[in-house]
Amino acid sequence: MSGDLQREPPPDQAVAADAGLLDAHEQEVRRPGGGGSRFWGLPIVIMAPLGALVLFSVVYLNRYAGGYSPLIFDENAKPAKGGLVFKVDPVVLGKKQYKTECVACHRSQGEGVPAIYPPLAGSEWVNGPAGRVIRIVLYGLKGKVHVQGNEFGAAQMPVYGRVQNSAHNWSDQKIAAVLTYVRQEWGNKADPISEEDVAAVRKDLGNRESMTEAELERLK
Amino acid sequence: MKSDLAFFLGLFAAFGVSYAGIVLASNAQLGSLAPYYDDGNDASFPRLIPGVAARGELVYRDLGCAACHTQQVRRPSLGTDQARGWGDRQSVARDYIYQPFPQLGLSRLGPDLTNVGDRKANALDADAMLRLLYAGSWGMPSYRFLFETRRTGTGAQPSDEALNLTEALEPKAGWEVVPTQRARDLVGYLVNLKTAYDYPEAFPWNPTKPEASASAPAAAPGATKVHLPAPTVVAPVPRASAAPTPPGPAAPEAAEPPAPTGAGGAR
Amino acid sequence: MNDELTPNDSASRRPLLLLLASGLLWLVASGCLGIIASYQLHDPEFLSGFAPATFGRVNTLAETSFVYGWLANAGLALALWVLGRLSGEPLRAQNWAVAGATLWNIAVAVALVGVATGDATGFELLGLPSYVQLVMFFSYGAIAVSGLLAWSGRLRRVSHASHWYAVAALFVFPWILSVAHVALFAAPVRGVLQAVVAGWYARSAWTLWLAPLALSVAYYVVPKATGRVLPSYRCAAPGFWCLMVLGGLTGGRHLVGGPVPAWIPSVAVVSCVLLLVHTLAVALNLRVAFSGKAAALRFISFGTSAYIIGAAADAATSFRGVAALTQFTLADEAQRQVALYAALSTILFGGVYYALPLITGRAWFSARLILVHMALAFTGIILLVGSLCLSALAQGRGLLDPQVPFAEIFQHARPWLLTATFARAALLLGNTAFLANFLLTLSPAPETPRPVSYTPPPALEAPGP
Repeated sequence: MSGDLQREPPPDQAVAADAGLLDAHEQEVRRPGGGGSRFWGLPIVIMAPLGALVLFSVVYLNRYAGGYSPLIFDENAKPAKGGLVFKVDPVVLGKKQYKTECVACHRSQGEGVPAIYPPLAGSEWVNGPAGRVIRIVLYGLKGKVHVQGNEFGAAQMPVYGRVQNSAHNWSDQKIAAVLTYVRQEWGNKADPISEEDVAAVRKDLGNRESMTEAELERLK
Repeated sequence: MKSDLAFFLGLFAAFGVSYAGIVLASNAQLGSLAPYYDDGNDASFPRLIPGVAARGELVYRDLGCAACHTQQVRRPSLGTDQARGWGDRQSVARDYIYQPFPQLGLSRLGPDLTNVGDRKANALDADAMLRLLYAGSWGMPSYRFLFETRRTGTGAQPSDEALNLTEALEPKAGWEVVPTQRARDLVGYLVNLKTAYDYPEAFPWNPTKPEASASAPAAAPGATKVHLPAPTVVAPVPRASAAPTPPGPAAPEAAEPPAPTGAGGAR
Repeated sequence: MNDELTPNDSASRRPLLLLLASGLLWLVASGCLGIIASYQLHDPEFLSGFAPATFGRVNTLAETSFVYGWLANAGLALALWVLGRLSGEPLRAQNWAVAGATLWNIAVAVALVGVATGDATGFELLGLPSYVQLVMFFSYGAIAVSGLLAWSGRLRRVSHASHWYAVAALFVFPWILSVAHVALFAAPVRGVLQAVVAGWYARSAWTLWLAPLALSVAYYVVPKATGRVLPSYRCAAPGFWCLMVLGGLTGGRHLVGGPVPAWIPSVAVVSCVLLLVHTLAVALNLRVAFSGKAAALRFISFGTSAYIIGAAADAATSFRGVAALTQFTLADEAQRQVALYAALSTILFGGVYYALPLITGRAWFSARLILVHMALAFTGIILLVGSLCLSALAQGRGLLDPQVPFAEIFQHARPWLLTATFARAALLLGNTAFLANFLLTLSPAPETPRPVSYTPPPALEAPGP
């Protein structure tokens, strides 16, 4: 490879050639108007791609950065107007609640157990006025109840709300969720129930003993 | 470059951009991520991991298991993680806050292990994992050095911890294969790998009606975009696997529904 | 300027030769470890009963010895050489550099023993156990002192692109290592933040530390060896600053779809794409290397092409649509090989081939061994990257079909994994030839050929004292 060394100066001239390298490149940078036009002080061959890619980057980040939120893990989530609502979908939450807490008695298809646990599927109570079912879940139900012409009275519906004598202390959101779920499942078609509705009932009635069928039937 | 000092300052400003942008900004967002309190279960999730799992994580790290296994489930439209039964939802940051050294992994020469303690199909219990570590599998080496082959004596009963191996791998008569403490720690860690809870940020809810965010939310399931499609391989199983079995009519506590256990809302 | 010009290179040879020799020894050692790891990919039971040789550990050993053994040593040697030459004086603080180099290599050896016996960290490119990191910080600083003095004390105040890249590399490594040490070991951050910081460290180590070491060599050797001024040299400064600002921002590159807020991988995607501007600047400047016939220029031009291809592939595979196929497969390993081996290592090979005759004053011992090394390096790396890409394709397709079990994926990828091991063996053979050539050149020879007389090329003529 003596061809290499032919281009390299002997040691005593090495420094001179390096100085030449530095100066030649410095002159190249300072040469006025040569080597292509400049835009914003940068050569056009850099500025053009840089400008295009910066534009691309701005558009990409606007769309896929999730608003730089620490709670958005899926980049396709569009930052909605007013921000994403990070409430869990009440049907998803309600379904989970039902399957852990309610399915033991009311069964997985809402069919209940004859004479003991009333059915929820197709029940006129479930599809009826919201106030009734809210009170049932909040305060429990004692005594007999008639659903679809059948009598149920062997078991008592426990107290679930954040009220006195409750062993469960469910939040208003959970009660609203499970009721919303039940009211749209198994053929039931009733309006969803909001957390505010439950809170209003609870504020209204305060602490009280469990409901009875007679009291509830007076509600519209 | 007019002056060296200006260059030096410019250099550190440039380094500072990526430091601030990646390290500081993410730390500001996630540095004090707290557990999520679920009032229905009166508990926060994720839970602290047991000691054996913390020790096992160190064994996992020093053996370099992350070279082949990941511990992150991606969203459904990015790969088939959920269709393979590795998880039911995308992993989020809160899942890892109580792991001392999260081993997210960068390569899938082997399956993902986020929910290996809780698989629905091809479930692995501790014994199956120990056997897998001893025998190896396609593409996975055997880890015989995590086990000890010791003498029981001819005709003696094998001890409780002895591995139940198939004929090809069985030691000769009078000997048994026993896991060392490291193997037990590692399996203790793996068995504890499961998704504890479904946090709200794992299922961000996009109300379709703009005014729906105020009061009555539109509850139609079809309206939301982020329900997970049913996995194609594994049949969907309800999350509450800890649901108490419904008592029959003849059960003595039929008059009262059974009180939910503390882990009722979680898995 | 002195009246009596001293041969600066031979005056600075002690630290340079120490670093180069260590680097080449580590290159061969890491090649052997890499073959063991690659062999275990298609035959997992190889050495599986021996705890230090389990795949997870051998993988880290190969990567650590390659990066902190070969790339660091050779990169520092050549960066110090370039800074020394451009300063017009022999290197200063050489004892510091020698002490630093010795300590660095001892620390790397201790790190490897630590990983083999169970102190692995699990982080990419940061497989060093916590206890050696402090030693490496200080030993790197000792080596860097020599380079920084050469820069700040340079006789001509003008600075060249090689200066910027070399100085940046000298400053950046202690910075990123200390941040990573604090955030991951001394006071570990919570949960997935460890993965974020580890990703930032790995990408910064590649883009801000290792790539500048190689680029400073390329920006110096190419004009010297071709005798021409770099065309489009005006683009060099924008390209440099582009890399410095954006390099670390690509930290979330491998966390696509992961349990981190979506903006982190999105910022990484955008930064990878913007880095193409830097790659364009490098390509425009170094394109004259492609017309060169010398060994050094052949290596550097190969490395430059690999750098360009690697940057383009990096940007393309960072997008989520592509990542759905390539993430978590051997495509990441292929990318690492393109970046660290095909691009950086070949540029460093070119630099060593150019620099060693000047440092020692002797020509290379055997031109044939240079050709052997070149042929094996080029064919080996192309074969390695190609087979890794094909196995990644087999893996990616298999992973995307939920019905395909891992056993089947393994069977489909296996032939390509065998080819990859074979390619690594070829690379190891080439590097052994390189090491042999190096050692033979250093050993005292009965006659040393004298360099022929020199005519300065007109473009690089000195303006006169």
